[in-house]
Amino acid sequence: MGGELLESSSSPSYTEIFYEHFPFYLSIGMTYDQYWNDDCLLVKYYRKAYELRRQQKNQELWMQGLYIYEALCDVAPILHAFAKPGTKPIPYTEKPYPLTKEEATANREAEEKAARDKAKAMFMAWASRLKLPEHKVVNADGH
Amino acid sequence: MAKQIRFEYDGKEYTLEFTRKSIETMERQGFIASDIADKPMTTLPALFAGAFLAHHRYVKKELVDEIYSKMTNKQDLLSKLAEMYNEPIQALMEEPEDAVGNVKWEASF
Repeated sequence: MGGELLESSSSPSYTEIFYEHFPFYLSIGMTYDQYWNDDCLLVKYYRKAYELRRQQKNQELWMQGLYIYEALCDVAPILHAFAKPGTKPIPYTEKPYPLTKEEATANREAEEKAARDKAKAMFMAWASRLKLPEHKVVNADGH
Repeated sequence: MAKQIRFEYDGKEYTLEFTRKSIETMERQGFIASDIADKPMTTLPALFAGAFLAHHRYVKKELVDEIYSKMTNKQDLLSKLAEMYNEPIQALMEEPEDAVGNVKWEASF
């Protein structure tokens, strides 16, 4: 009796297991031919790729949430019920967030350069408004 | 890359490999892997013949039997074939790489 129970619940054949997993691999982009006829280890790489895609998607959704959060924070001053007249929203970030260290460094350098150029332009404008005495050319003989 | 056995016979290169389709075909024809222990004399040649399905589907049974009879070191050959036969299912059942959250277990016998 126990043996019958064991017999009836014996492990499924390999084919049954293959068919059980087949829809999942189809759903992550494997073709019929790749699953059944190609290198049997392909499934490992498809699973890994699927995992990477999920992580990437998760990262994107998180990032989107961050942008929405920032947008809400920026606009929050004017949404305030008792906001003073003339209150303006904080400008939304001009660029997307950098994704790599190199991108972050390049952004920071560009910002620093823009700040330097702006300061230089302001100084030049200020200097041009000043009425400085003209230089006199003095020769060696004193004339 | 999946495990393979390569050899040359009568001037022709052969590559033995199991795909899911070849295992399905073998099981449809009555092959049961667990019979290897009980009926080795019939199961092992069938296992060898099944390994031809992936790359040499149309090789005649007589030729397969002839090659099998001339294969040396059969003990090793058959253990390798069994390993290859299990590979397509092992690739599906592999342990998750991420150890976090996996349940560890042990038996008391």
